[in-house]
Amino acid sequence: MKFSYSWLCDHLETDKNANEIGEALTNLGLELESLTDYSEYSKFVVATIKDFRKHPNADRLNICKVDDGTNTYQVICGANNVKKGLKGIFAKDGMYIPGTQINLKKGKIRGEISEGMLLSERELNLSDDHEGIIELLDDFENGTSAVEALKLNDPIFEIGITPNRGDCLGVRGVARDLSAKGVGKLKPLNFKKINQLEFASPIIWNINNDDNSCEYVVSRYFKNVNNSKSPEWLQKKLISLGLRPINALVDITNYITIDLGRPLHVFDADKIGKKLDMRLANANERILALDNKEYSLDKNTTVIADGNNALAIAGIIGGDLSGCTDDTKNVFLEVALFNPNSVAQTGRSLGINSDARYRFERGLDKNMVIEGLEYASYLINKICGGLVSKNIEAGKLENFEHKINYNFDYFNKTIGLELDPQKQIKILKDLKFQINKSNEKECEVLVPSWRNDVKNKIDIVEEIIRIYGYENIKQSVPSASIDEIDKIDNSSSNKKFKSIKKLKKTLISNGISEVITFSFHSIRAQEILKGDKSLKISNAISDDQSYMRNSMIFNHLESAELNFKKGFKNIQLFEIGPIYNSSQSQENILSLLISTEENTNSIYKSEEFNFYSLTELTSILISSLNFDIKQFNISRSTSNTYHPGQSAELFMGKKLIARYGKVHPLIMEEFSKLKNCYAIELFFENLPIDSISRANNINILDSQFQFSEKDFSFLFEKEQNLYEVQRYVKGLDKNLIKNVEFFDLYVAKDLGDDSKSVTFRITIQSKEKTLEEKDLEQLHKNILEKVSNKFKAKIRS
Amino acid sequence: MDIKKVLNEVTKEIEQSSSQQELQNVKVAYLGKKGKITELLKSLKDLSLEEKKSSGSKLNLLRIEVDNLIKNKFNDLKIEEINSKLKNEYLDISFPPPNSIASKAHPISKTFDEVINIFGSMGYSVAEGPDIETDFFNFSALNIPENHPAREMQDTFYIDDKDKEGKPYVLRTHTSPVQIRTLLNQKPPVKIIAPGRTYRCDSDSTHSPMFHQVEGLFINENANMGDLKGTLIEFCKQFFNVQNLKVRFRPSYFPFTEPSAEMDIAYEIVNNKIQLGQGDRWLEILGCGMVNPIVLENCNVDTNTYQGFAFGVGLDRITMLKYGLTDIRSFFSGNLNWIASNGFTIGEF
Repeated sequence: MKFSYSWLCDHLETDKNANEIGEALTNLGLELESLTDYSEYSKFVVATIKDFRKHPNADRLNICKVDDGTNTYQVICGANNVKKGLKGIFAKDGMYIPGTQINLKKGKIRGEISEGMLLSERELNLSDDHEGIIELLDDFENGTSAVEALKLNDPIFEIGITPNRGDCLGVRGVARDLSAKGVGKLKPLNFKKINQLEFASPIIWNINNDDNSCEYVVSRYFKNVNNSKSPEWLQKKLISLGLRPINALVDITNYITIDLGRPLHVFDADKIGKKLDMRLANANERILALDNKEYSLDKNTTVIADGNNALAIAGIIGGDLSGCTDDTKNVFLEVALFNPNSVAQTGRSLGINSDARYRFERGLDKNMVIEGLEYASYLINKICGGLVSKNIEAGKLENFEHKINYNFDYFNKTIGLELDPQKQIKILKDLKFQINKSNEKECEVLVPSWRNDVKNKIDIVEEIIRIYGYENIKQSVPSASIDEIDKIDNSSSNKKFKSIKKLKKTLISNGISEVITFSFHSIRAQEILKGDKSLKISNAISDDQSYMRNSMIFNHLESAELNFKKGFKNIQLFEIGPIYNSSQSQENILSLLISTEENTNSIYKSEEFNFYSLTELTSILISSLNFDIKQFNISRSTSNTYHPGQSAELFMGKKLIARYGKVHPLIMEEFSKLKNCYAIELFFENLPIDSISRANNINILDSQFQFSEKDFSFLFEKEQNLYEVQRYVKGLDKNLIKNVEFFDLYVAKDLGDDSKSVTFRITIQSKEKTLEEKDLEQLHKNILEKVSNKFKAKIRS
Repeated sequence: MDIKKVLNEVTKEIEQSSSQQELQNVKVAYLGKKGKITELLKSLKDLSLEEKKSSGSKLNLLRIEVDNLIKNKFNDLKIEEINSKLKNEYLDISFPPPNSIASKAHPISKTFDEVINIFGSMGYSVAEGPDIETDFFNFSALNIPENHPAREMQDTFYIDDKDKEGKPYVLRTHTSPVQIRTLLNQKPPVKIIAPGRTYRCDSDSTHSPMFHQVEGLFINENANMGDLKGTLIEFCKQFFNVQNLKVRFRPSYFPFTEPSAEMDIAYEIVNNKIQLGQGDRWLEILGCGMVNPIVLENCNVDTNTYQGFAFGVGLDRITMLKYGLTDIRSFFSGNLNWIASNGFTIGEF
C-alpha cells in the first residue's frame, strides 16, 4: 500500500514528520517498507546554461557556462540535449550524487576544468532515464531548490499490510490507526451529499443471485456527464503513486479505492443493457477485461451481466467494452459487497491481482458502502456535472454488529503485564471500539464495522498491546525445569539428533564432506529410480524438481558430477536427510557417495577403492552407533540402484539397516564423466535408538593371560554366507574364542566353480589361566570338525 | 704370560672388526669355551695358591675389560649398521601430495546443533513431523482456512496424491504443523522445538524452494508474551554471540498466533560488512506470537487452563547472517568447494 504524506494529511491532522510517522506505522503493525523522502535534494538547485561551446579535445563533450543564481560555473557536459537557455538541476563540487553514489569532485576533464554537474533523472534516482540532463519546462528562477522545481516535497510511504488488516487498504484507515496511536487527529470526511436525486435509474438490478457471492449492491445513474481529464489535484495524487490518470470517471474510482479502501465500478451506461444481473458464468464464456486481456470464465466465476453478455468479473475487474471513455455521456455506478471467499477463489483461478480483488477478499467495511456511493456521487457530480438518479439496489445490507465480552485480566495474563482497566478502555476507545457495559473486571466491546478481523477476546488483547506498544512488554526467560530436562533426556528425537551428530563426526573424520541437496527428484531420476508416481509435485518450478525423491543417490551423483567438472577427481560426500516412499512414509537416512578415479597410479593411492573398502566403511559407521556389522543378516541387494554382484543389504529381523555397493552401471550411463561410484545407504532410524545411545562397550581382549592365535582354511560352497560362519565359530566357545578374523578369500578354477577357499584366524584366550597345549589342540580339533560338518566344508592344509 | 700383550692384541682385533659377525668371532676366540683368555683362566689351576691369587685377579680384570670392549663395540657396530641401512631408506619428502579438500559439516548442521543446544538449555526437547503434510496440519488446524488471503502469504507446493479428505498433500510451508501434531499427541505442558525442512515455490538469491525452519512451542498455565520476548532475545544473544543486542518487537500477523509479532535485530554496515547488534537498520529474524486459542481448541487443549507461545525461525537466514553468506542457493548445490570454505571441521562442529 502506497500513499503520499500530503494524501495522509487529507485525513490526519498531525505535526509529526515523515520519519516519525514511518516509525509509528511499523509499531502499529503496518510495516514501513520504504519511505521515499527527497528533502535532502534541496541542496541541488535550478541553473541555466548561459552559453556553451564544443570541448576542444572531445567530440561528444560540451563546455557550458552555468548560472545558479549566485555564481557562474564552467561545467563539462556529455548530454546530447545541451542547449543555450536550458534550465536544469545543478550539483556543485563536493555534493553526493545519489544515483551514482559518488561525491562530485571539481577537476579537469580532458584538459578542461569542470566545476559541477547538470543532472539526469537517473543521477537523482528519480527514474532510469539517462537520455539527457533534466530539462525543466516551467520558468523557475535560478537557485530554486530541486525539491520545489521537481515537486519532490511530498514523501511517499510504502507499507506492508498483513491479510487481516483490510481496513488499512485505504489512506483513511491508515490515518485512523495512526490517530489511535496518538500520532494525530482524524479529520472528518469532507464532502457533501447530493440532495437532489432527480429520477429513477433507467438501469436496474435484476439479480438472480444463485451463489450468494454478492450480499448487497447499490447503484446510481448519472445523466449527461462530461468525462474529460481529471482536475489537477486528482491527477497529481494518482501520479504521486505512480498511477496514470485516464479520465475523470476512472480516476475517481481509483482515487476512492485508495482513499477509502472502497473499490467501486463505473459502466458506460450506453454500452450496457437495462437489466443487470449477477450470475455465475457459463462454461466457455469469455470476457475482454480492462487490463486488455481476454479471460476464459468457468462456472465458479460470478459476473455482472446484461442479458447474455458478461460485463465485468464481480469484485475483480471490469470489462473493456463497457468501460468509461472520454466520450461517455451517461454513467452507471456500482458499489457492491461481494463475498470475500468467492472473490478470492475466482481471482486465484483466473490469476488476476487487481486492487479491487485485493480489498474484497480481505473483507470490506459494510458501513462504507453508502459512504462510498455518496463520496463517488459527490466527486462525479462535481467534476463531470450532470444529473444523479435515485438509488437502485439489490440484496440486503446487514448492519455490522459484533460484541465481545472481555475480561481485563486476560490482557495481563496473556502479555505478562499489569495494565489498568481504564487504560485498556482508553486504547479501545481511541480505536473507535465502543465499550457498552463495564465494571472493574470486564466489559462488553462493540467492534467497529471496519474491523471484521477482530473476532475474539484475544484479538482485543492484541489491539490493546499494539497501541500500548510491544516495546513495553517486559521480558523474562522461563528457565528449564527438572521435568523438562528429563523429557529432553528421554526424547527419542533428541537421541536421534545425537546419533546423527555421531555419524556426521565419523564421516567427516573419514574425509567425507556433508552436503544438503533438495528433497526432489528430476523427471529423469524418477524414471530411473522408480519412485512413487503419486509423489509428483503438481506445481513444480522446473523439471529438475518434479517429484519427491525416494533415494538421494541420484542427487549425489549430480553433485559429484558438478564437483568433477570443477576438477575434483576423488569425491566423497554424504547427506543425512529424508527420502519419501509414499505421501505417508518418509524416513531419514544417511546416504553416502564415493566416486574415485579408475587406475590411478599414484604414490599416494596404492590400492583402488573397491567393494571391500566400502564394507569396511559401512562397518565403521555401524560401530559408531554401537552396533557390529556382523550381527546383522547379510544378503545380496536386489535394488536396481546397485551392481547386483557388488552390493549388499544388512537386516535386523525384517528391518533394512543398510544397503551398500557399487552403483549400477545403467545409472552410471547418465553420468559418463564419473568412473567408480560406490554408495552406502544407512537406515539408522530402523536401529533401536536406546542401543545407539548407550555407552560403547566393545569386547576387547582384557584378560591378563597369554592368548593364542590359529589360522584355519576351509573350502566352502561359493554362496556360503561367511557372516554365518563367523557367528557360528564364535559361538562354539564364547568364553575362549575372543575374535574371529577373516583375511583371505581365494576363488579360482582349480577349486572348481562351486567353491571358495577362505582363511580366518581365531584368537583364543582364557580369563582364568594360560591355556595349555592340549586344551588348545582340543579346541582346534573341535572347530575343524564342527565347521566342516555344519557347512559341508572341506578342510584345507 | 703377558696380560698386556693379550690386551693389546684383543683390543686391536676388536677395533678392526667391521661387522657384528667378525666381532662375534673375536669374542669366541678370546672369551669362548676354548678362547685364549678362557684357556688362561683354566691354566690357573696348575699354579700355586699365591700365583693363583695374583694372576687370577689380573686375568679376571682382563676378562671383564675385554667383555666391556666387545659390548661397546657391538653397540657401535649396531648403530653404524642401522645408520647405513637408513641411508638406503631415504624417501622424496618433497613429493607433493594429491590435492585434497577439507571434509567438513554443512553450516546448516552447525546451526541445527546450536539451536538444539541453546533451546535445550532452556528446557525445549526436539519434536518432528513429516515434510509431506495434509492440508489439515499445514493450514486448517492452524486457522488458515481455504481461500483465506493468508494462504497466499506462502506459495505452496502441492503433491498429486490426495489425503483422506480428498485434498492434495502439500509440502509443508512451515514447521508449524508440528505444533498441531505435538498438541494432539501430548498433554500440556509442552515445550518443544521442531527443526526441519520446509518448502515454498519461490527461487532467487534469498529464496530457495527448500529451506529450513525451527518451530518453537511452549504451552503451560501461564507462559506469556513477556516470556516469549525474553526467550527469543536470549536465543539471539547466544546464537549470534552478541551480548549487547538491540532488538525490536513489532506487531505482525499470523493466523495461528494472536497477538503476533516479528522480531528484528539492529545492524550496521562496518567496512562493507553487516555487523549485528547495534545501529539504526533492522533485519527481520523471526515471526512469533501467543498461540491463537482457536489453534489450541483445534487440538482439544482447554484454553481456560492453558496458554502459551510459538515461534518460527528461518535457519538458513540466520546462518547466512551469522556467517556473512549471501546466496541461499549455494547451500544446496552440493559444491564441495563451498562446503570446504564455509563448513565446519570436527573440532568446530
